[in-house]
Amino acid sequence: MNLGIDEYTDLDSPFHRWDPRYKIIGLITLVFAFSFIRDLRMLLAVAVATIAIYGISRLPAGFIVKRFRYPSFFLLAIVLSLPFLSGEHVLMSLGPIALRQEGLLATILIATRFSCILIVGMILLGTTPLLTNIKAVRSLGIPDIMADMALLAFRYLQEIGRDLRNMQTSMRLRGFKERRFSPRGLKTLAWLSGSLLIYSYERSESIYKAMVLRGYGQAPPRKDEFQPNKKDALILVAIILVAAGFIIGDLMLGHSTSTLLQ
Amino acid sequence: MHIPDGILPLSVTGSGYAATVLTTWYSIRKIRQKEDPRQDIPKASLLTAAFFVASWIHIPVPPTSVHLVLNGLLGALLGYYAFPAILIGLFFQAIMFGHGGLTTLGVNAMIMGFPALIAHQIFRLRKWRNGESQRKTGAFGFLSGVVATGISVAMFVIILLTNLPAEINIVSERTAIYALAIAHIPIIFIEGTITALVTVFIRKVRPGILDGV
Repeated sequence: MNLGIDEYTDLDSPFHRWDPRYKIIGLITLVFAFSFIRDLRMLLAVAVATIAIYGISRLPAGFIVKRFRYPSFFLLAIVLSLPFLSGEHVLMSLGPIALRQEGLLATILIATRFSCILIVGMILLGTTPLLTNIKAVRSLGIPDIMADMALLAFRYLQEIGRDLRNMQTSMRLRGFKERRFSPRGLKTLAWLSGSLLIYSYERSESIYKAMVLRGYGQAPPRKDEFQPNKKDALILVAIILVAAGFIIGDLMLGHSTSTLLQ
Repeated sequence: MHIPDGILPLSVTGSGYAATVLTTWYSIRKIRQKEDPRQDIPKASLLTAAFFVASWIHIPVPPTSVHLVLNGLLGALLGYYAFPAILIGLFFQAIMFGHGGLTTLGVNAMIMGFPALIAHQIFRLRKWRNGESQRKTGAFGFLSGVVATGISVAMFVIILLTNLPAEINIVSERTAIYALAIAHIPIIFIEGTITALVTVFIRKVRPGILDGV
């Protein structure tokens, strides 16, 4: 299983050099500001800003295109239904099917916000290794239990994924047909899930013993590995100002999209 | 059943995060009441990873196939670790596959995680009166899976349809709710059946896991 998320973390850009903790605070603030936007003019500004910061991050276009594959199905369902189901002002009609203005505007709003949030999220995650990001959120105060669980789960995801693939190959070699529904097939798939869980549970017992032998829970608290400088703080302030600007701009423009929708 | 970014307004995504922080705090408080909470972390973590991987198993439901949610099973086996486990799993799904999103992580965690905690309480009832038996394990396993997935589906449909940034007329909204609910009925029963079969299988092979992490 190729997770692919850490593929471009060794590039060099202002986002790659930015302190991970400040980057998390700044870019999460920005994506929440994006989810506040309802005015179409501000939406255009958000899209331009997103493209600009993606350019600055120097991540290749192919990296983000791959990320659009799965969520685009859900988005496609909304794009194909909302313009025809929602609203009163008919723009065009073809027999019983009518394209409605309110639904069309809502679709543009959803699709643009979704794309911009996804792209900024990928800048956050694609410019710092995931393990560093997990350490950074621990440093920001998430409970140790959560951070330890996330680190360990991530560490073993690939191995357990490989176990599943091996088990599925063995089942197919023994004649199991995955594409046919039957009560017996359901039972076999339940046993496959159960075996995976039991195997992981048994593996965790030896992992815990190994962790204790290496001093898990006994080590003195580590010194903070993140050392932000003035430049990091300045970038954070700039990003927060941009986020605030979007929200203030949207409020000043009076949510024109929502006005149109009412 | 993952709501992507861009659909929900800030008030809903913010409330989702607030509810998730509260539920995580409550779960961790319960976990810390154990004698040695660290001892269970590797088990909970590897089971989290295993659940994440098991959700890739596709069940054929002609003419298509569905993947497992497993939040009922997660609640039954992981207890109070289920909520942090789901939060971590959803975070990984959002960043690796684009299922869900960063702003909707809190809402999605509540949709999947809150029913898992209910499933945990339901599954504990199997020990009520005359102790545990294979039949009771299967029955309460089924109930955990059905209730958890059922609540998740209800929360997903209601949150999604009431927060679209456009008014859908009442007839279309009602049709959409019915269509989504009917489409999910087979999934709810498959989840219940899988949860029952897995819990019975684990009881036979490694009963210690059912005592909870």
